[in-house]
Amino acid sequence: MCDIIWCKKKKDGKDCDTINYLDPYYFWNWEGTIACAECGTVYYIHMINGFMYKGPEERPGEKPDTRPLYADKPYDGYSNYRPGVEGRTRPYQCMPRSWLTGTADMVKFSIRGRPVRGWRPQPKSAGLAGTFGFNWDIQKLSPEVWEEYQKKLAKGEVKDW
Amino acid sequence: MAKDPRVTRIEDLPGPKSKGELEEMKMPYEEYCKKIFDVGNEHIKPNALKGIKWLSCTMYIFTPNSVVNLAELGAEVIKIEMPRMGDAMRHTSPFNECYLYPLHDTRPMTGTGLGFTNANNNKYFLTMDYHIPEMREHFYALVKKFDGLTELYRPGTMDKWKIGYRQLSEINPRFIYVWGGGFGYGPKMFGGSYDILGQAHAGLASVTGMHEYMGGHATKHTNWIIDWESGNIITSGIMAAIHWRRKTGLGTMLEMSQVQTPTRLLGYTTTMYGKFGIVRQRWGNWDTQLAVHGIILCGKSDFPDADNPQDKFDARYVMVSAFQDADFKELCAITGLKNLYEKYKSRNQRCEGEAQVEIYAALEKWAADKSRSQVAKILQDAGILAEPVRNDREVYESPHYRERGTVRWLDDPLFGDMLLHSGYSAGLMEKTPRRVNWHWRPVGADNKRIYRDKLGIPLSKIQEWYDKAWI
Amino acid sequence: MAEKRDIEIKSRADTIGLMDLKDVRPYPVTPPPTYEQVKPVYEKRKALDFCNWSEENLKFEKRYGKDEALTGVRVMDIGLWRLGHKFCSSLFGESGAEVVSIEPPSGDPLRKLTPFGREEYLLQNTETGEKCGMEFVNETVNTHCVTLDVETEDGQEIFKKMASNVDVLIDGMPPGYMDNLGIGYRQLKEANPGMVYVWIGMLGQWGPWKDKQSKFGQWMLEPFSSCACSWVHNTGLAQDLLPRGRGGDPTRSGIWVADYVAATQGYISALAALYWRDELGGTGQMVEVTGAEALMDIIDFDITWYGFNASIKGRSGGWDPNLNQYAWNPCKDGYMMIGGQTDKLWYNIGFCFERDDIQFGRLIHEDPFLKEVGARNALHALIKTYSLTTRWLRDQNRVEAETKLLQYQLAAGPVLYIDEVCEFPHFKYRPWVYVHETDYGPLLIASAGLSYQVRTPFRCKWMGRDLGYDNYEIYMKWLGMGQNKVNEFKQKGVI
Repeated sequence: MCDIIWCKKKKDGKDCDTINYLDPYYFWNWEGTIACAECGTVYYIHMINGFMYKGPEERPGEKPDTRPLYADKPYDGYSNYRPGVEGRTRPYQCMPRSWLTGTADMVKFSIRGRPVRGWRPQPKSAGLAGTFGFNWDIQKLSPEVWEEYQKKLAKGEVKDW
Repeated sequence: MAKDPRVTRIEDLPGPKSKGELEEMKMPYEEYCKKIFDVGNEHIKPNALKGIKWLSCTMYIFTPNSVVNLAELGAEVIKIEMPRMGDAMRHTSPFNECYLYPLHDTRPMTGTGLGFTNANNNKYFLTMDYHIPEMREHFYALVKKFDGLTELYRPGTMDKWKIGYRQLSEINPRFIYVWGGGFGYGPKMFGGSYDILGQAHAGLASVTGMHEYMGGHATKHTNWIIDWESGNIITSGIMAAIHWRRKTGLGTMLEMSQVQTPTRLLGYTTTMYGKFGIVRQRWGNWDTQLAVHGIILCGKSDFPDADNPQDKFDARYVMVSAFQDADFKELCAITGLKNLYEKYKSRNQRCEGEAQVEIYAALEKWAADKSRSQVAKILQDAGILAEPVRNDREVYESPHYRERGTVRWLDDPLFGDMLLHSGYSAGLMEKTPRRVNWHWRPVGADNKRIYRDKLGIPLSKIQEWYDKAWI
Repeated sequence: MAEKRDIEIKSRADTIGLMDLKDVRPYPVTPPPTYEQVKPVYEKRKALDFCNWSEENLKFEKRYGKDEALTGVRVMDIGLWRLGHKFCSSLFGESGAEVVSIEPPSGDPLRKLTPFGREEYLLQNTETGEKCGMEFVNETVNTHCVTLDVETEDGQEIFKKMASNVDVLIDGMPPGYMDNLGIGYRQLKEANPGMVYVWIGMLGQWGPWKDKQSKFGQWMLEPFSSCACSWVHNTGLAQDLLPRGRGGDPTRSGIWVADYVAATQGYISALAALYWRDELGGTGQMVEVTGAEALMDIIDFDITWYGFNASIKGRSGGWDPNLNQYAWNPCKDGYMMIGGQTDKLWYNIGFCFERDDIQFGRLIHEDPFLKEVGARNALHALIKTYSLTTRWLRDQNRVEAETKLLQYQLAAGPVLYIDEVCEFPHFKYRPWVYVHETDYGPLLIASAGLSYQVRTPFRCKWMGRDLGYDNYEIYMKWLGMGQNKVNEFKQKGVI
């Protein structure tokens, strides 16, 4: 086993069966201990140019140096621990915001509070053969967003910048 | 000249001709620049490429960008996409999070991802399956009216469909035909290519990133730089071809391969290998020819309490430049590193690898208990060039780009309030500025406008084609 | 054959003189592919006729026999240190314009720049012995080198006269420098209303962040531009994948990238302005291009993204956050780039890996989350995919990986170092690097990307020049100033 640690430890009578992914750049040349995201078993590994030179060896009782960024369980429908689950996975700091979902962010308003068409589904608005005009009649097509916009305007939440 | 030689007319004399002009001459230069570029009033000035019409059978970033430059300069551009599908780039979005809807009325749950941004401004969007013989005649009808075409298919594909340069130049001898792709004629002619392949293959990646001995890895340029810059280079070629055509009336064909672009931009790298056999390596955030001229890590972030991790953890880097003797001397004085100045007095001595390692390590040690803005301020106050490494938020909030109109909000006709950082930023022009009218439009959004209004196709026919998925 | 010698290398000093063979090194090491070897590739695609036509009409070797696009366009360029105005002038030069570069009599300091400050890497003119840095030589293509001190009154007079007949003036000096001397756009446009004046700089000649100089007069050079537009902040590996200080940092490009982009846009805008002037009855005008903004123009969607939901792009190293797979990762002997986003290509990658790693399909293709093309771009999906990809890669060297992946019609390729680039068969066939005979002896250089055209290919005729090499010719042609007068000015230090 090398760029993943497939933890086979017994825990509460069941196999842990969790795959801990060792991301390539971080672990390409690395020595230390890493804890399984599911059961917390600590493994010692020494990697040289991506090869598992030593390990993984269990090191019970030792404090782990790090944790994987991601782990999942193929026998459990690929349930997973994404980066930054406390006590499970390593936090991932270099993100564009403090949160990431990996799914479409249904934005209705830009950061300065004006409507932007970032949500779905959108009502039909095309003409012949998919032709569109040069305006978006939001008041007619999406009255609920229009209303929300009016409220924002009244509250002074709509800014120039 | 005045008819009567005894009369002195003000317009014949050198210097300003009117009070307005006199004031213009007296104005501080910065104010003058601001006045002539007149940010915000671009649309009432003429278009540089008024009357130029361009077809675009393009996808991704490279070839669309070669055409978007023309569209921003005022050319009329039609982008032809495959019916229902559209450009593959519409399906790219950072971490799968940002889409604008709809892509097409038949797909209300699918949006166009932000990856499509900036390469398709101002274009009209047509759908046409031009590879079927039934549509060929209509494709030709467009070619007769247009000045040129950019395409990106594997070489020979358009030729096989009878819409390649060899056929189109007979229909329209003034036609300028551009193929943009990965490799062009030669052993890898049919090899596929992406931006990242250009970065990897042509040597750019091998010189970007931290040095191996520091534990660093080759890193990708953050943007699709080779797609974009190769696109810009194509536009250069198109502009030169248009210039030559004014003189001769003849069109041409350009074959432009993106994989080579970075090699031409590698400065001394190729020559150094050829002459001295030395293979240039990565040199991280320092400069191989100047020192001090590099980016240093400071101990503290400027915004330790910010919510956004980029502000919180990464507002820690400063670009410092003091490579001339006097500057280096001052830098050493202000940072308490006088011994380094004594040791590396000449510019060439400072540039040596070992010297750079020592100098930057000492500077980072000095900066270890300071924040980014403290470091920048100390150095700036001493008269040395130093600037923080800015992030997207800081660029957005920068008074500089706002005043110059290079970052601005665009009330997009169909998608609403979108921030814009392209087009206006490609270069300010006093009399014929670039401009952006819209970010992009849905797939086939201009079908009626083009098929009926340009080509005279009856509306019933358009509907029929649409139902058959020909358009 | 070279003579065999016994040498002892104790330090770098002992290697000086061993490397420079006074000639180009043996190149290429293996000969370029011949047409006969390439023909089967064309035939296999059933496109021999088109391919032969392409070779016949686009071939690099035919460039000198064809016309030049910008013959008759006169360009003058003044500037120091930077590559922005130089690459812009080179583009004009490569496309056939008559380009004159003005340097002060002391020369552009860029002439003296050399990697790691090592003077043994300076090139030497084979006739005159004058030395010049490799960067300067590579970035001054087909330009005439003229000296003039525009800080003297005589120099300003001469400059004004020269500017009165140019179509394009490229200004690479600090903001307001030319204007202060009375030879800026404001003053010159009167005598030459048709002139397109292109200022190329880092951040701007006006505005709160305009180009600065240090107290001692040192200029801002790249990467100040790319630091100011978030480009550097967004490039490099995440601190989560590599520790800070060892590559997990914002990273500059290995080249002065913003300079090149600004130069290209300067060329485009200048030609657009000429088109408007000549075809549509316009006049001359001022154009201002900055590295920071020209690079921001093409920084994907990054600032737009901030406006959408306050995202600030972070670093993602060799991975692309918009496509999966679309990245390079370490392999046995370097880095291997693999691309394949659509379902067809995505599964093809897996099929390829599974020949060696049976687990790949089990863990990747069966994961329900990874079945949807957009979802695969989620951060954790990238981590998972590239961890397993690298597990395959670490057992492959680049050639093995490329060979295997290409069998599955994938866009895949290794990160190549410059020696490998120069020996890449396709690069040699086109050729994209070739030996050009210059005043500094034969040099290995990269060809211009626009050299492959039916009518007016770009081309390199000469590169680099001795300081003031073209003084007599240009002063005679442009001003009717004879050699005695030129010498007189030389003595005064004006030329």
